[in-house]
Amino acid sequence: MNTSVPIVQIKEAPNRRFPKLLRIIMLYIIAILFLFPFYIAIVYSIKTPVETAQSPLAFPTHIAWSNYSDAIAASNFFLALRNSVLTTIGTVLLTITVCSMAAYMIARNNNRFYNFFYYLFMSSIMLPFQVLMFPLYKTWTELHLLNTIPGLIIALTGVQIGYFAFLYVGFIKTVPRELEESATLDGASRYRTFFSIIFPLLKPINSTILVLSALGAWNDFVVSMIIVQKKEASTLPLVQFQFFGEYTSEINMAFAAIILSMIPIMVFYLFAQKYIIGGVTAGAVKG
Amino acid sequence: MTRKYKDELLKFSFIVPALLFFCLVVVFPFFRGVNIAFTNWNGIDMSYDYVGLHNLKLLFTDTELLNPIKNTLFFAIFTTVFINVIGLGLAVALNTKFPGVNLLKSFIFMPMVISLVLAAIIWRYIYSDIFPTIFHTDGGLLGNPTTVMLGISIISVWKEVGLAMVIYYAGLQTIPKDMYESAHIDGAGSWTQFSKITVPLLMPAFTYCIPLWIGTGLRQFDYPMVATKGGPGTSSETLAMYVYNYEFPYFKAGYGQMAALMLFFFILIVTVFVTNYFRRREVEY
Repeated sequence: MNTSVPIVQIKEAPNRRFPKLLRIIMLYIIAILFLFPFYIAIVYSIKTPVETAQSPLAFPTHIAWSNYSDAIAASNFFLALRNSVLTTIGTVLLTITVCSMAAYMIARNNNRFYNFFYYLFMSSIMLPFQVLMFPLYKTWTELHLLNTIPGLIIALTGVQIGYFAFLYVGFIKTVPRELEESATLDGASRYRTFFSIIFPLLKPINSTILVLSALGAWNDFVVSMIIVQKKEASTLPLVQFQFFGEYTSEINMAFAAIILSMIPIMVFYLFAQKYIIGGVTAGAVKG
Repeated sequence: MTRKYKDELLKFSFIVPALLFFCLVVVFPFFRGVNIAFTNWNGIDMSYDYVGLHNLKLLFTDTELLNPIKNTLFFAIFTTVFINVIGLGLAVALNTKFPGVNLLKSFIFMPMVISLVLAAIIWRYIYSDIFPTIFHTDGGLLGNPTTVMLGISIISVWKEVGLAMVIYYAGLQTIPKDMYESAHIDGAGSWTQFSKITVPLLMPAFTYCIPLWIGTGLRQFDYPMVATKGGPGTSSETLAMYVYNYEFPYFKAGYGQMAALMLFFFILIVTVFVTNYFRRREVEY
């Protein structure tokens, strides 16, 4: 009765094997091509200018570690690192707290009043930053938030609220109400219910938002460029941008600075890979 | 009664922090920007005049706008097509088990996690130093006004293909395997299976991806800003850079803000249209 299945498999096996192998080899080649720019960055960062001029592609004979110490000295690396870390931590904490709280009430109250706020937040997803750029800059000047880390944190949080609240609402709708109802019956306040019962249940979406907002804050260029124009509050992307304007003749040192600033995010990627990829696909595909 | 009232207030207090930040960063600047768009404000002086639709009239008669429009459309179309086609191709190709498949996925996604500034800087040197060594070309794509947008678009494709790949890959996981099995038994080849099963059932991923890249393409600012600062000359200036230039270096805030608003409406119309187009093609199974 089910003989047709094995026959098909026997017929298919030999002539499918070769294309599959070819396909795998091609995929390996493509992956290597994707890594090629990283190889260039690493090789440049450990070469002397003489060797770079002779053969930009080759691996160096002598590794010039001095590029790294020079880069640290010339670029205020640790100041920028500190600013990036502070900005990222601040943005992530603020984003998770305010978005989860707001999304909780929006998801649990399906009435006109809360729907209005839902659509208000959502409407900002489509809004290009260029529309806010100049008025935000003016507002931040007046509030003395320009060139400050808190100013940058608030701006980054604000532009991300729409998308992250949207992701939270979608997730919270799938969380059953029973647990919080029993908590309310036991006399827990709304805040107590939220922080000790609901919030821990949001762990999957919290980790998604954590990685997405961390990546967004760490790598942001446009918002930071408008809010920060002084060295004291410059984050890594801003420092890199300026650094390459100033040190175009010392590319090896500049590439050492690139590698240095890549290390934290690469370590983060290695550890949080599952969440990063899970995060970027959340909301993209209906399960 | 007062207790009910108090509870409603308590409920509302959950929204207040988000609303506060949102208003400060988005709502208030947005309306302030709309106001500026109808003035001749230079962005610095205390006083300015309302000029009605004058900025709009200027915008529609500015022939210098043609170049940024052309560049922006080129970037948006090129990156949308290549990121999605390559991303989908990689997702389908990687949707089998073989040694190292997860590692390959991580590698292809890797450019997505580094900052765009780093990506643009690395590629600047690949174009100027490495390409001439390998292909014996001169100068590089970014130094030539006719190829600069192509060069910038390639950087974007390299950086963002991994994102399209993982989204399509996640979409592929939602398609039941037995659909392919029964199609296979019915004698459908791999192309028929791809066009008759994979593509229609991946529509939700298309609905997400294609408007996303059209949208980001149309508001592109970062890549040209970092890679070429809009140059050589103004040959890689995009609409978003045009807005930036008028608001900051040229001190024409009113005009720049009107340009920003028009860019917003343009992106809104295009994305809504494209999203609806793909949403209508989503199928239930």
